[in-house]
Amino acid sequence: MDRTTFLARIEEYHMGGWRLALINATSAMSTEEQPGGSFDVVWAFVKDNAFEYLREEIVPGDEVPSISASFPAAFLYENEIRELFGINVTGLNVDLGGQLYKTAKKIPFSPSAIRARLEANAAAGIASASPTPPAGPHGAAHAASSPAPTSAPTAGKTA
Amino acid sequence: MKRTVIPFGPQHPVLPEPIVLDLILEDERVVDAVPTIGYIHRGLEMMVERVEYTEMGFVVERICGICSFMHGMGYCLSLETIMNVEVPDRAKWLRLIWAEISRIQSHLLWLGLGADAFGFENLFMHCWRMREEILDIFEKTTGGRVIHSVNRIGGVKRDVSDAELAAILVRLEELGKAFKKTASVFATDPSIAHRLVGVGVLSPEDALSTASVGPMARASGLATDTRLGGANLYDQIDFQPVVETAGDCLARVAVRLREVEQSIGIIRQAIDKMPKGEGLPLENRPRGNPAGEAFTRLEQPRGEVVYYVKANGTKYLERFRARTPTFANIPAMIQLVKGCELADVPNIILTIDPCISCTER
Repeated sequence: MDRTTFLARIEEYHMGGWRLALINATSAMSTEEQPGGSFDVVWAFVKDNAFEYLREEIVPGDEVPSISASFPAAFLYENEIRELFGINVTGLNVDLGGQLYKTAKKIPFSPSAIRARLEANAAAGIASASPTPPAGPHGAAHAASSPAPTSAPTAGKTA
Repeated sequence: MKRTVIPFGPQHPVLPEPIVLDLILEDERVVDAVPTIGYIHRGLEMMVERVEYTEMGFVVERICGICSFMHGMGYCLSLETIMNVEVPDRAKWLRLIWAEISRIQSHLLWLGLGADAFGFENLFMHCWRMREEILDIFEKTTGGRVIHSVNRIGGVKRDVSDAELAAILVRLEELGKAFKKTASVFATDPSIAHRLVGVGVLSPEDALSTASVGPMARASGLATDTRLGGANLYDQIDFQPVVETAGDCLARVAVRLREVEQSIGIIRQAIDKMPKGEGLPLENRPRGNPAGEAFTRLEQPRGEVVYYVKANGTKYLERFRARTPTFANIPAMIQLVKGCELADVPNIILTIDPCISCTER
């Protein structure tokens, strides 16, 4: 991600009087281009009835700048994506040091942790999502442009 | 000055659920607060890996026992957006009515807890007695008092007959009259005012910079209400967001008091406007598996909730995320606690109407 452009766009939202609605991360499994998986991170803002978001694809280890200089309330979301996804957020105004959720398993939503869980499920015969989801709608699919496929694979159903 | 650290929670008389705030004090004044959650983190978002999308709605409802209906509704709305499903009209109106009944229920519950926190036991009991009547309505119409499970992807599972809806309206209007008496105690009692006026003041600028939502933001003069966007038939309802300007604890109480009456008015309009008759379609079940993503925003009793759902064409969703109103209001709560007296901390924390189950999921 281009740090300067990103922070400039965040600051535009701040100056425009938008409210931070959400920072959300989604893990994407490994692909040929990204063997370690990646994260789809969304920064969403609300003003009156408008809802807009910025989206970045982050590779594990990438540095993601904190937006807490513009939106002080971002610290909760940023601590969350750091604890649950292992995303390297830097420059937080409030660093809770991994003590926000105190989950028993550290970084439960990292691509490798998800893959390990799903593979273990498959090995144990527990019905769950497939460790290798279909390539098609992954990433950029949007609701309006992707009708529900009628012959989707029955993922992860073993034995 | 020497600083003392007092852990507030996880168990405290005003906290129905566990959260810890490490309060850093100079004498009796709080100078900083560090939150820790995670005592009831159940990992519900992770369950999309093992629960099929058709059943996940029932898990989502169990995020919280107070907003359960609207959690289920938000999940179904997200899937309906992704799968391009048109929900039958009567189902949409029923959802709106149940959502507003949830709001009354939640506010009455909170008003009771608030009264209990500032030492008004009888007021607490009156609020909760009225809440029981709302739960009776839920039980009669959905079959459940806390977990309703009437939302399905594509509509609702149960119909409520026109006669029953008319009877509910009569019941709610009677409740509204009784509620006026109770509300006047909150609004006029000098000891309550003494405890709440000028305590925990959040300015409109701070409400925006801390990204507050719901009654918290509206009590500070921000006319923010997701329902104003007009989705889910709210464009057909005549209402204005309840706004107070003082920004203190009493203003947050006042917003909720007025919203109870507002919700009864909204239900009245909805029953008047919805299509009448027996056997109208309630469900338009989608086929196949979802592919795509959706953000859904709703105005829950505690404020705006944002759901994010991402589906990849299989039975299992790739991601479900609920950003609940309490999560959004925590930065404001921390800001309010800084600089206040230790004795005011319980009331300040309570007036954001914290729901820790929602926050942690």
